[in-house]
Amino acid sequence: MVDPRVTRRELLAAAAAAGMACAWPRNESEAQGFLANLAPEEPVEATMKRLFAGRPVREGSAVMTLEAPLIAEDGGNVPVAIEIKSPMTPQSHVKAIYILSDKNPRPLNAKVNLTPACGQAYVATNIRLADTGDVRAVAEMQDGALLMVKRSVRVVVAGCAA
Amino acid sequence: MLGQVRIKLPAGIARGSVARVRVVCIHPNERVERQSGKSVDKNYRFINRVVVSYLGRDIAELDTATSIGENPAFTIPFRATEPGPLKITFFDTHGSRFEGTAEVRPS
Repeated sequence: MVDPRVTRRELLAAAAAAGMACAWPRNESEAQGFLANLAPEEPVEATMKRLFAGRPVREGSAVMTLEAPLIAEDGGNVPVAIEIKSPMTPQSHVKAIYILSDKNPRPLNAKVNLTPACGQAYVATNIRLADTGDVRAVAEMQDGALLMVKRSVRVVVAGCAA
Repeated sequence: MLGQVRIKLPAGIARGSVARVRVVCIHPNERVERQSGKSVDKNYRFINRVVVSYLGRDIAELDTATSIGENPAFTIPFRATEPGPLKITFFDTHGSRFEGTAEVRPS
C-alpha cells in the first residue's frame, strides 16, 4: 500500500516522472539507429580516407582471397568470404578485416576485429549491395600495414543497402 | 523468432585445431529507407555489434552496419584449445541483446 504520508500530488508527480523515464531512451544504447549515428553517405574513397587516414594500402592478392559471386541475383543477400594467410601469433596477426562495397551509399559493411585466439584470419557473412561494382576487403595487420583485394560483383536486383 | 541465435559447430573438432563456427541471428536488420531520394531519419533497428567469446574471453568483435543482410550470418574461426562454452552475443540499435551458446568438445 501507499504510505499515507505521501500526498496525492506527490504520488501523481512521481508517476508522471516514471512515465517520462520509460518513454525517454534510458541510455544511448537504445537509440543508435538514427542517421546521425550511422556512417555518413559518401563515396568509397572518402570512407577509405576516414578509416585509414591516407596510410598506404598495398595490393594483397598474394596472401588474401575474397570470395564473392560473379553475379548476385539478390543484392540484399550476397555471400562473401575473406581469408588472409597469417600465422595469427601475437607477434604477427591480422587485427581487423574491413568489408567495403564501392557502390553502397555507406560503403563500410563491417569491421571484424580478430585476435590470435582465432587461429585463422577468416570471416564470411552475407552483405547487401546497392549496385553492380567492386566489393573490397582490407586487412589491417598488427603492425598497421594494410592489404586490399577487390572483386567485381554484378547485382541483378539491388539490395538498396544503406 | 526475433533474436534467435543459431550456432553451428563442425562435427569432430580435434583439440588444438582451428574450427569455424557459423552463427545466424534471426533479425530484420533494417535498411535505411528513402523517400524521393532522401534518407528518412528514424531509429532503425539493426545489429551494430557482435561479440564472440570462447572460454570466457572475447576472441572476436564485429562492428556491423545496415548493409549486412537480413538475418545476419557470420562464420568466425577459433582455435579449440579446451572444452568449454563458445558464446556469441548480438547487440542491436534498440538496446536489445541476443545471445547463443554452444559447448565445444574437442577430442
